[in-house]
Amino acid sequence: MPAGHGLRSRTRDLFARPFRKKGYIPLTTYLRTYKIGDYVDVKVNGAVHKGMPHKFYHGRTGKVWNVTKRAIGVEINKQVGNRIIRKRIHVRVEHVQPSRCAEEFRLRKKKNDELKAEAKARGEIISTKRQPEGPKPGFMVEGATLETVTPIPYDVVNDLKGGY
Amino acid sequence: MVFIKAQKSKAYFKRFQVKYKRRRQGKTDYRARIRLINQDKNKYNTPKYRFVVRFSNKDIVAQIISATIAGDLILSAAYSHELPHYGLAVGLTNYAAAYCTGLLLARRVLKKLEMDEEYEGNVEATGEDFSVEPSESRRPFRALLDVGLVRTTTGNRVFGALKGALDGGLDIPHSDKRFAGFKKDDKQLDAEIHRKYIFGGHVADYMRILMEDEPEKYQSHFSEYIKRGIGADDIDSLYKKVHAAIRADPTPKKSTKEPPKEKKRYNLKKLTYEQKKAKLIERLNALNDAGGDDDDEDED
Repeated sequence: MPAGHGLRSRTRDLFARPFRKKGYIPLTTYLRTYKIGDYVDVKVNGAVHKGMPHKFYHGRTGKVWNVTKRAIGVEINKQVGNRIIRKRIHVRVEHVQPSRCAEEFRLRKKKNDELKAEAKARGEIISTKRQPEGPKPGFMVEGATLETVTPIPYDVVNDLKGGY
Repeated sequence: MVFIKAQKSKAYFKRFQVKYKRRRQGKTDYRARIRLINQDKNKYNTPKYRFVVRFSNKDIVAQIISATIAGDLILSAAYSHELPHYGLAVGLTNYAAAYCTGLLLARRVLKKLEMDEEYEGNVEATGEDFSVEPSESRRPFRALLDVGLVRTTTGNRVFGALKGALDGGLDIPHSDKRFAGFKKDDKQLDAEIHRKYIFGGHVADYMRILMEDEPEKYQSHFSEYIKRGIGADDIDSLYKKVHAAIRADPTPKKSTKEPPKEKKRYNLKKLTYEQKKAKLIERLNALNDAGGDDDDEDED
């Protein structure tokens, strides 16, 4: 019999619940709220059968474009052939987690705003741009003794000692 | 001596998945909780209130709770041990007391939200099925009944509390199928019987029966009633007065308690994280110093 290509084919391990985490899912997933424009990760929860996305979207991150009663519309990029399409899927909230990809950016934005406000108060202009890590600074090597190493002529007798 | 093969091996324990803590304690029904708490996502942060009724052996707890990720928040609570303030001293866990507690909670919540003038509810408790009519300005306060782990049979006291809250003016979706006095044969609520239960009529009937047939049992069973001089005929008017008192002033009374006495501590107080770290640094420094001295001695 040929291998089927059904909707959930090849998902035996992907959709399986982790070890000792079977059964009811924690209530935080139901209490979270999502707004349009948030970034979310799609992670399928095999315990809930409704509103499951296709296995392709497992592990993808996208933006929320729609919020309905029990599900969220997420816009995810998918490469089809030679182009990337922005696909819009609807996923139940049990299969979605808030993404931390934009967290670092938001924190940096907040810090930069504070720094800029302080600088403005002091009257100086600062640059809050991130700088790439440059080459390491030069340094002097301390406490090194010089040992001159020269080659010694090949000695057959010495080398045969082991296996002779 | 019978040799029994060990049932629970190490492998058993390694694979054992514990249920949630509150399930292990037998206190929370997660299937029901998920369905009660789940709020429509397109309502964002709007709280979904549940009207929680729990019974202990000597007390009734009625609360309005909304759920957050940090924990549940209690908007307002009413206990049947507060009913003595309103004139009811005995029978604090019967159907009538449950009705009073539900009524007290409803009036308290509405007063807190300044809706108590708008939504009087059913002032005269008739036992008929009553639902709040939405008024012009504000929609009624909506909550969902949370019975917990109780078996919902007809005439259960949780439905007594539910009736109290409904008559108090809350909007709780319900049906009259489980109120005391619902006849399964004609599929109709007998309002007379329900009203009897709300006013403790069933207790009064039992008192009369016992007085007739077994006076000694009556003395022992209803001793508190006798002590306060409550007879079978006084019960109806007693509950009427309690309902009126509740509607007059539902605000909770603050009880003045002295601060608890200082108790002698028998075991050591647990250290904080910083204290433990500081202690460790001290010990390491002491060891290093002592070790340093030993090394110097060895070298010599």
